[in-house]
Amino acid sequence: MMNQGGITETLAPPGTNSLEDRHVVDARHGQPSSYSSSTVGSEASSWTPHSVNNSFTGNGYSAGSTYGFEQQAQPPRRDDMNSATEASSLSLGSTSVPQDYNGYVTYQNPTNSYGYGTTGYTGYYSGYQQQSNHSYSQPAGAYQSTGSPYQPLSSFQNTGSYAAPPSYSNTYYSPGDYQTAGTYPNSSYGSQTWNDGNYANFSTYQYPNYPSTSSAYGSGNSAAASVQYQPQYKQWTDYYAQSEVNCAPGMENLSVASSSNPQCPTPGVPDGTQASNSQPPPTAVPSWRPEPVSSGLPSQQQPSVVASAGHDSYWKQHAAPGFQNYNSAAGHSAFYQPLDSKNAYGSYSDEQNSTSNQGPNLQYPVVHQVPQIHQASQQISPTLDPRRGSKVQIQTNPRIVSNLALGLTKTDKAGSGTTAVAKPAYIGVSLTKPNDKGLSSDASDPALKPATFPKSLRGYVERVLARCKDEEQIAASQAVLKELITSATADGTLYTQDWDAKPLFPLPDMDGLSNTFQSPSPLPTLRRSPGRRTKSRWEPLPEEKLVNKTPPLTAEPLKYGGYMNDRNRKPFVGNLESKDGLNTTSFLAVEQKTASFQKPFKRQRLSNSLTTADNGDASSDSDKESSLTAFYSGVMGFSNTPEERKKRESRSKRFEKGHGNRVEISHFKPKSAGSANLYTRRATAIVLSKTFEESGSKAVEDIDWDALTVRGTCQEIEKRYLRLTSAPDPATVRPEDVLEKALTMVQNSQKNYLYKCDQLKSIRQDLTVQRIRNKLTVKVYETHARLALEVGDLPEYNQCQSQLKTLYAEGIEGCHMEFSAYGLLCVILHSNNYRDLSSLMSRLSNDAKNDEAVKHALAVRRAVTSGNYVMFFGLYRTAPNLNSCLMDLFVDKMRYKAVNCMCRSYRPTVPVSYVAKVLGFAYASSVSGGSDEKDSDGLEECVDWLKAHGACLVADNNGEMQLDTKASCSSLYIPEPGDAVAHGDSSLAVNDFLARASS
Amino acid sequence: MAYLSMGEAHRRITDYLGRFSDAVSSQDVASLKHLLSLSSNSPSLLSLADALNLFQDANRLIKQSDKYSQFAEIVVPLFRCLQNYKLNNLVDAYHAYEKAANAFIQEFRNWDSAWALEALYVIAYEIRVLAERADRELSANGKSPEKLKAAGSYLMKVFGVLAGKGPKRVGALYVTCQLFKIYFKLGTVHLCRSVIRSIETARIFDFEEFPQRDKVTYMYYTGRLEVYNENFTAADQKLSYALAHCNPRSEENIRMILKYLIPVKLSIGILPQDWLLEKYNLVEYRNIVQALKRGDLQLLRSALEEHEDRFLRSGVYLVLEKLELQVYQRLLKKIYIIQKQKDPSKAHQMKLEVIIKALKWLEIDMDLDEVECIVAILIHKNLVKGYFAHKSKVVVLSKQDPFPKLTGKPVNA
Repeated sequence: MMNQGGITETLAPPGTNSLEDRHVVDARHGQPSSYSSSTVGSEASSWTPHSVNNSFTGNGYSAGSTYGFEQQAQPPRRDDMNSATEASSLSLGSTSVPQDYNGYVTYQNPTNSYGYGTTGYTGYYSGYQQQSNHSYSQPAGAYQSTGSPYQPLSSFQNTGSYAAPPSYSNTYYSPGDYQTAGTYPNSSYGSQTWNDGNYANFSTYQYPNYPSTSSAYGSGNSAAASVQYQPQYKQWTDYYAQSEVNCAPGMENLSVASSSNPQCPTPGVPDGTQASNSQPPPTAVPSWRPEPVSSGLPSQQQPSVVASAGHDSYWKQHAAPGFQNYNSAAGHSAFYQPLDSKNAYGSYSDEQNSTSNQGPNLQYPVVHQVPQIHQASQQISPTLDPRRGSKVQIQTNPRIVSNLALGLTKTDKAGSGTTAVAKPAYIGVSLTKPNDKGLSSDASDPALKPATFPKSLRGYVERVLARCKDEEQIAASQAVLKELITSATADGTLYTQDWDAKPLFPLPDMDGLSNTFQSPSPLPTLRRSPGRRTKSRWEPLPEEKLVNKTPPLTAEPLKYGGYMNDRNRKPFVGNLESKDGLNTTSFLAVEQKTASFQKPFKRQRLSNSLTTADNGDASSDSDKESSLTAFYSGVMGFSNTPEERKKRESRSKRFEKGHGNRVEISHFKPKSAGSANLYTRRATAIVLSKTFEESGSKAVEDIDWDALTVRGTCQEIEKRYLRLTSAPDPATVRPEDVLEKALTMVQNSQKNYLYKCDQLKSIRQDLTVQRIRNKLTVKVYETHARLALEVGDLPEYNQCQSQLKTLYAEGIEGCHMEFSAYGLLCVILHSNNYRDLSSLMSRLSNDAKNDEAVKHALAVRRAVTSGNYVMFFGLYRTAPNLNSCLMDLFVDKMRYKAVNCMCRSYRPTVPVSYVAKVLGFAYASSVSGGSDEKDSDGLEECVDWLKAHGACLVADNNGEMQLDTKASCSSLYIPEPGDAVAHGDSSLAVNDFLARASS
Repeated sequence: MAYLSMGEAHRRITDYLGRFSDAVSSQDVASLKHLLSLSSNSPSLLSLADALNLFQDANRLIKQSDKYSQFAEIVVPLFRCLQNYKLNNLVDAYHAYEKAANAFIQEFRNWDSAWALEALYVIAYEIRVLAERADRELSANGKSPEKLKAAGSYLMKVFGVLAGKGPKRVGALYVTCQLFKIYFKLGTVHLCRSVIRSIETARIFDFEEFPQRDKVTYMYYTGRLEVYNENFTAADQKLSYALAHCNPRSEENIRMILKYLIPVKLSIGILPQDWLLEKYNLVEYRNIVQALKRGDLQLLRSALEEHEDRFLRSGVYLVLEKLELQVYQRLLKKIYIIQKQKDPSKAHQMKLEVIIKALKWLEIDMDLDEVECIVAILIHKNLVKGYFAHKSKVVVLSKQDPFPKLTGKPVNA
């Protein structure tokens, strides 16, 4: 629902936004969108298979499963596809795709061989399916399902497609959609329709769906996308590849628009692109608009959208009400509505609930795709939206593909409990596994990434699109453009051709073009998404890796190729399709990649739990989210072993947090932005995206770190520390002023060290991420170092000390002397290495040597090296700052040495009271003891200590305890530390932990 | 500079190439090492550098001839190094030299005999010196100096080539010494350990077979390491070896050895003659020696303070500081002698008050507990024989040799 809401908001902007803007945005966002699309495709396929499988997919799944395992199961899939007549569609898609995406080429080729190419529309589906196939063997199932949806869609095509975008957004939010077990049944229906052979229809349907998905992405991602995406892009090279896939979806959208509802697609698409650029809502809106136009259903959808407009409500809406509504709507105008996100959701739910409506089912297939998209969006969204947090969790779960698959099947069963669901569930299981494999195989595909498009070409596309008067023309132009680019790529003139000088082609005939367009795009998207998945089973990990790798990659044309293509294409695609969808879809796709498998589970769960949790507030409590995720992951039982589960939980938490923050941002933006403001926002978003793009592409040779530095936007003072595993998300990073408050909060906090340490670490992380190095940084490290010293947490202290060293060296003011003294003491008391010590001492400035704390530290050093225990404990008593904390660590050693020395040199006895005085027991007890210190003078403590160390004590005539030195001389020993803990840090032991747990 | 004709430049270059290839083919180290010795600033090399800067196409010259092209790997970067060296572009010169050195060691590896060891020595030396200069240039430009480290890893590679069995092993110690110099300069002394281990554990090769100069250098550095480790017996042995075998005419080297040997000897109770300190300009130790002789704690402290920086930099500060206990011992001994003169029967009982009074005369203010502690430590460390009676605050000295001399053994812990 949130998405929808977001969409509605975005709608207004999209309309205003120019295609170019979209293009730009798309380029960046488009990548994400492409991901989403690809993932969507795969997910959709997978899902559809599940649902569809009951009837059709069952077969398809089986085939798919095998394929998936083979990864290149494509041939089998193809067969399946062919049987379904989807192959034709695939072929079309493949042709276009290959040019765009080299990596995909192989897949595409097979599809081409099918010769279905003529049925370009089907190609779209096939493309999706292929994607899914690539990633998952499921495709076959997907095809069927998609096929069925397509046909129904054909009737509804335009409206449906437009509506679909919204539905996509919805799907994102509603994890439950995955359960779309209903969708699966639908898909089966769809497959039937396929049999009917309405390829054109299919294509149109699919296309709308794709655009819609893209729009959904835009809505979900948009806000986050602008900020977060930059990092993400880099990080997610794989995603980029997927983004290409998204482009394909975008293409599909375009084609759909052209073929069936040119108007709808164009409006929807542009909107979507816009939305994708920055604000998801806008994208959603466009999609919605088309829907109304096409089917009249729009009114329903729109309302729903409006309702959802409250981003916060996204999830909730998804959760059920929205869906149901949609479903009802879909049921009636099933085809149209399916296109709509809401409809899709509804249809899903309906399907799940009552997989009865075949007609709706057709739509459902579309919906399925949508769900996929949604998933993708969810994946994306996690980064963006807080709500996504829950989604994110799901995503993380996806890592465990097999588990997910199982979970999915289960969910499907449960969700679709009605009829086909159970079967699909089985199918789904098999499918999911194949998918995983397929994904892995796909991962290899990324290598095939197409080369990037030259800027001049982009400009050319923009010119072409600029002259289009209506959506039909745009769609047609896009189709022509697509052909042009494809052929140019084929002859290798893509880069050599002077696009700037190339005359614009006459406005093409709408009818013919639409088909061609559609076919090419889908395939690439599908393939890519799978490919990305292939990188790693555990998506989170791959993502991270990708992130790391991407920056270097950007420099390399080939690697970037995929990325670049996405960008370039996005513009193209975006133009063709209406840019909107692509961009957004790309983001979604990325997420989907990770989440696609997981999504089903997650979605279901999310729908339940997330809606509850997320609905509450946009700025969902990160802890809640994390706990939820943890709970989910645990409940789901994905993990086979406790350790694995833990790991997953932690990972999912990590993502949740990030997502949660992002979601918040995105939501806030849309909300805050009035319809009037949308334009300006979009514009800024575009600018932002441009800069991001540039910086990203620049990264290779000369990274402008200043431009890349994150500027945090998080306003929460409290934040738990989590080790970053990806590029930082500005939404989760606190700006300097907030960090200052956070520091004050920690300093005044009454909570225990563990809490403070955690908070300070997160502050340090935020500082590092934003490259803030000033007095505040020093203050934070000093605070942390002192706290660590107080509790004897030396590892943490050492970290701070080393940071402080460099910070001081940079000339930043702070308590330099105090920490020089600590540094000295550390070396003295711990390493006690001559060379280190003298080099450290030789580096002390005269100022330092005159400093009280440093003087004290130097004196301590002398006392230690000479073994002068009297001096040592005298200094202990007068220690400035926290010097005594460091000395504490040496006290026992010093005492033991002293007693040893006394035993050798004193005869016959030494009064224990003297020992207690000289060895600081009196002082220690007066510090800690309170009122009775005068009486004991630390005597008892000293006696205990001496006894514990094997000393021989006797009472003299006056009853005073004496240390019998001669007897003790040979009996002294160092006792085993009684409070030793396995982790070697007794200061952080059980008590603290329990206190923390109970608080 | 006089005008240099193109023909002359060409002649110089071909002349150098000819000499290089002749030296290699006839295994004539003496002339080969001169061709590699950059820092010698020999006129022939400098004029060659001029020629190279004029005649830019030396590479073609090398490649044209089969005779020269087999050394292209070495000579081409060497020429580039010479050019940069002449232009005082030391960082680039270092890079080129390292390349040439790598190519040379590659060749050297393939030569069965160790005939080119001398040339390798030159390279090892040159690369270190050049790296140091390049680092100076780098840090002057505000960049991080890292060339010396790179030179260190190159020399490590050379060491690997030499350290095996066979005739080339003789050269290992030279490279080791160059490595020591680098590591000590970089402050990464811990890296020395692996090299030392492979030198000292090799049974097949007697240490005495290494060249004298390398042995001295090696002993000097390992002796310094032992000082760092507070292993004074070993330090004394190694540094004494170095001193004994050092060429008596290299006074600077002797001084460097003494700089560490004197503190070591002091800490084992052996005091140097004053003339020695004079002769080798080690006067910073004079007051310390005086303090030890007199038991003048104040003098010791002021001497340490006066030369603190120097002592800290050379790393002997902490060694010298530990002499304090010996000064206390000396002080107590003096008191003991005075008491003995006054009243031999009670001489072995020394009141704490007396010690405190003596310290006061030295302008050192210490309270009872602290002095008691010092005395306890003295007894504990076996610098004083006897015991301390806490009740009466009296040090009861052994009647036999109450102040044992260290006589070459360090103060025991």
